[in-house]
Amino acid sequence: MIYDVTVIGAGAIGTSVAYHLCKKGFSVALIDRGDIASGSSSHCDAVALISDKAPGLDTKMGDASIRHYRELAESFSYDFEYDRKGCLYVCETEEELAAASSYAKRQAADGYDMKIVDAKTMREMEPYLADDLLGGIWTPGDIAVCPYKVCFAFVEEGKKLGLKVYPYTHISRIRLSANRMVEAVETDAGDILTKRVINCAGVWAPDVGKLVGLDIPIQPRKGMNLISEQTKRIVWHKVMEFGYMMSKFESINFRRNVSSLVEEYNVAFNIEYTKADNILLGGYRGFRGFDVRSELEAMQAIAERGIRFYPCLKGINCIRSYAGVRPYVKDHLPVVSAVDEVPGFYIAAGHEGDGICLSPITGKLMAQLVAGETTDFDIRRLRFSRFTEAQRTA
Amino acid sequence: MSSKGIPDDMLVCRCEEITADEIRQAIREGARDVTGVKRRVRAGMGLCQGRICEKFVQQILCQELHMGLVQTGRSTARPPVRPVPFGELARGCGNDL
Repeated sequence: MIYDVTVIGAGAIGTSVAYHLCKKGFSVALIDRGDIASGSSSHCDAVALISDKAPGLDTKMGDASIRHYRELAESFSYDFEYDRKGCLYVCETEEELAAASSYAKRQAADGYDMKIVDAKTMREMEPYLADDLLGGIWTPGDIAVCPYKVCFAFVEEGKKLGLKVYPYTHISRIRLSANRMVEAVETDAGDILTKRVINCAGVWAPDVGKLVGLDIPIQPRKGMNLISEQTKRIVWHKVMEFGYMMSKFESINFRRNVSSLVEEYNVAFNIEYTKADNILLGGYRGFRGFDVRSELEAMQAIAERGIRFYPCLKGINCIRSYAGVRPYVKDHLPVVSAVDEVPGFYIAAGHEGDGICLSPITGKLMAQLVAGETTDFDIRRLRFSRFTEAQRTA
Repeated sequence: MSSKGIPDDMLVCRCEEITADEIRQAIREGARDVTGVKRRVRAGMGLCQGRICEKFVQQILCQELHMGLVQTGRSTARPPVRPVPFGELARGCGNDL
């Protein structure tokens, strides 16, 4: 048989794209060289937020995705631990609070439910929070999901619609016809004949791109978190420091009064509870190639920064650290696009730390692109051709 | 040993209270190694980080999938080796917290 579409990569993006294509009636094969959710999507945190997005398209996609998560949670029989816990950004200084206020005002003006809360309200919401903080941004609609369960859920629901899954399958070649149309994906499990290929391989998308002669500018950016023992509830929402924005968008020029270690590892406090009552404490981002080993100094800096905001963490045990790589793109926008040079070849990758958040909307938009429909909103800025155009003008 | 060697109702992962039956279910859902089982049913995610259950999980994988011990893999080794309070961890960098 000839598949309508073959999706490469069974993480948060690939599984969603595969599911949404099945939903449109396409015949779909989903390939991964390992297990479902064995890459970045099981080595990350568990939230989908609009409150960490740049105003504009970034926030618009986040908001649409979070709404879509809600619909999926209601319609799927597979439980992916959807939890509308809300997100609280906390500010240490007047300077941060002023920046936070203007950010929240801008987002509220665009129609998003986001507001500034004072220190007293914040303490009522999070009684274990350090008592010297000045206030924060409260975004009630932000959610958490279990990221690898999201992948399993898309696969299981996709199978009901005819999705064929090829885990532990290695690709050796993507065969193109004489006129450079996608024809087949050659694997160690045999040739998979297909009309289209969608590259959803995240940090490994450049490797897949090379198979058809493309240079995809995605780099691995490491992220690391700590996990606590199961403990009594000390945190009720997703809580982050405003300085997190700084660690995410390196272009924001903003200095915090922190130790040299916290500075060196670019550590930004963020915390969340999980359904199993562990605490996830983060985080750090850095460029270390594909090295995902835990770094002791980074662990120390994360613990230090966590205790600054939640002093009671001092006595709670850390049982594990983990790290993964996020697919980083310089302009902080993912690629959700057809590729003009290779008819039938598409890319949905490069979401960096927003892959879990943007998984549902990316799947939906990609299915619309493949079906030749008008996308829910204008995604021209996510085109792959922006890189080649940038090269030409450079 | 038959695949029934470990009874279905035996608690394999004590920390997360996961039975042999649940581990077999995870294997039926596609888990092929220790990490795949862990991700599907949490066996090995608790306080002891799989120190108790990993060998049992490996054994069940060997029996169900007729594979060798090496193919079952191991959970990724990650610090800390033992549970350590965040306060101790932070003090390690010379901070007086």
